[in-house]
Amino acid sequence: MKNLVHVPLNRQQLELLDRTVARGAAPDRAALLRLALRAWAPAHRTATAPKEPAR
Amino acid sequence: MSARHVVAEWVLQPGTGKAIEVMAGQVLRIEQVDGGQCVDFNAFNLHDYKEFMHCGRTRTVHGFNPTTGTFLWSAPPRERAMFYLLADTVGRNDVLFPRCSAYVYESTYGFSAHTNCHDIQAEAQREYGLTPDDVHDSFNLFMATDVLPGGAVRISRQDSQPGDHVELLALIDTLAVPNVCGADVMRTSNFFLKPVKVTVFEATPEDLARVPALPALASQRTPKDFRNATIKADRELRRDAAYEPSFLNTPLTVTEVAVELDDDDLALLRTYEHAPLYRGDPGATLRDIFFSWWEQQYVTSPNGAPTVTSSPTLADERQPS
Repeated sequence: MKNLVHVPLNRQQLELLDRTVARGAAPDRAALLRLALRAWAPAHRTATAPKEPAR
Repeated sequence: MSARHVVAEWVLQPGTGKAIEVMAGQVLRIEQVDGGQCVDFNAFNLHDYKEFMHCGRTRTVHGFNPTTGTFLWSAPPRERAMFYLLADTVGRNDVLFPRCSAYVYESTYGFSAHTNCHDIQAEAQREYGLTPDDVHDSFNLFMATDVLPGGAVRISRQDSQPGDHVELLALIDTLAVPNVCGADVMRTSNFFLKPVKVTVFEATPEDLARVPALPALASQRTPKDFRNATIKADRELRRDAAYEPSFLNTPLTVTEVAVELDDDDLALLRTYEHAPLYRGDPGATLRDIFFSWWEQQYVTSPNGAPTVTSSPTLADERQPS
């Protein structure tokens, strides 16, 4: 199931996103935000959050 | 190793200091004569005294106790490396404590007049037309300090020996002002004031080769970039009736970026350790995750320090700019 999340960013923050996209990190802003989520969040979950088994 | 050429040399007696022109490419050595003496230090751009060494910037970049291999920085908006710390035989310097002052000795010890670093600095700087208001926070050489658990700060006795020294290589033309710390009733100099020797050398090619390359950035601004570059010459503050605010990048408009997440992504977002800060706002949570990730990916130097490499080009490649 798809869920839509709206990320509020000011123009300076968007500039940084766009520069990172321009360097080839991801094809667009949304893809870059998803990339960061998948790369960062698994190792930074709440202590009480159940850890998912490795796939 | 090439021999250094001595340009000038002084022995500073207790209770005194000396304003010394140290040009780019010269080395200032501050050396213990008897040992155990703290030296306070101010430094200005010789051609523009409004640019001066900034302890806050220096301690943010290099910590409370800068030593060999660090830089002494000037204040924003200049933020230039003024000196490179070429040698330090003790490794106990301080950018945490302020200079001692007449007030400290009167309020704490009851002295109506006592040697103190502020007034010694002011008297030494007067040779170049500066006033007591121009003395800035000291870089304290040979001063043993630390921060205790809970945040209190402490000065300890020091163990520098005769011949121990700090060498500062000037990267711009400077007015450097060392003074023999006036604190004889504190631990700073082990309860007694002693002379210190000060020498200016021409740096050797080997000295110059030791300085890491720093990037030159557009944000390092000088008076030609200021909206108001005129130094205020009177003391009263008066409102400028013609003033129109012009703050950078304002208004900071906000745009929402829509991101499609699958259920696994959403679960990651909800269980993120800092999610409770954002009270269930998934967009704000994802924003936190993005910038945390970005910092880890691209920021190579902590606390706003410039990336120091042998090749500034490589530094620019590492961090999108």
